[in-house]
Amino acid sequence: MSTTEEESAVKEPLDLIRLSLDERIYVKLRSDRELRGKLHAYDQHLNMILGDVEEIVTTVEIDDETYEEIVRTTRRTVPYLFVRGDGVILVSPPLRTA
Amino acid sequence: MSTGGEKASGNTKTPADFLKSIRGRPVVVKLNSGVDYRGILACLDGYMNIAMEQTEEYVNGQLKNKYGDAFIRGNNVLYISTTKRTLADGA
Amino acid sequence: MSSNNPSQLLPSELIDRCIGSKIWVIMKGDKELVGTLRGFDVYVNMVLEDVTEYEITAEGRRITKLDQILLNGNNIAILVPGGSPDAE
Repeated sequence: MSTTEEESAVKEPLDLIRLSLDERIYVKLRSDRELRGKLHAYDQHLNMILGDVEEIVTTVEIDDETYEEIVRTTRRTVPYLFVRGDGVILVSPPLRTA
Repeated sequence: MSTGGEKASGNTKTPADFLKSIRGRPVVVKLNSGVDYRGILACLDGYMNIAMEQTEEYVNGQLKNKYGDAFIRGNNVLYISTTKRTLADGA
Repeated sequence: MSSNNPSQLLPSELIDRCIGSKIWVIMKGDKELVGTLRGFDVYVNMVLEDVTEYEITAEGRRITKLDQILLNGNNIAILVPGGSPDAE
């Protein structure tokens, strides 16, 4: 392990999460779920506690007659929730305007 | 990936060697779901958790999303590839 | 006690003998890859070069060519030394 690399204090992937504490993050979960909320806490499994959360669930149905795909998104807000880490695919911090 | 456990004879390249060689390089990360992420590899750890910059999300070859920074949980990763790649459909 | 192994060849030794040669990797699920094995680790994560990836989808088989990859060993089902039968 070389220790001299200095790049915005991101030495390991979880640093990206650490730097997002108390920020609003985007979380992509399995089964087409997405969350946006303020990151209050996390651990090494990527279990997370989010506040003021918007959940977006995307479903695709096939129209019985036209066989067209109908994409539906359902949105709801949750004041406070726990996310189990094993469902997490991707986490993105807020866009840092640079 | 701490050690490869294999002797570095001739032109063998262990996973650890590969990971060292691709930091800061453009990569494609493919998930088991088939979704591709293209971007600059910032860093990664032994679980194949990945931090990427300038990340683009491709579903079925179509650009669906962009993220400034992205953390990808390692259990979803199928492979990490250096970028030069061509696509052929059908057959 | 590897001396109790009747085959006298550990699985990892078999893979080690494939370094530098073509190998066919069949994943759990509908994916297969063929490439030159450059190295591997204790989890059988593998570095492959000049890779052809085959994905079986509803629309048919999608082929992707890749320079060099690190393949996660987690979802590997079968390894076949020598490449795939329908190699070009």
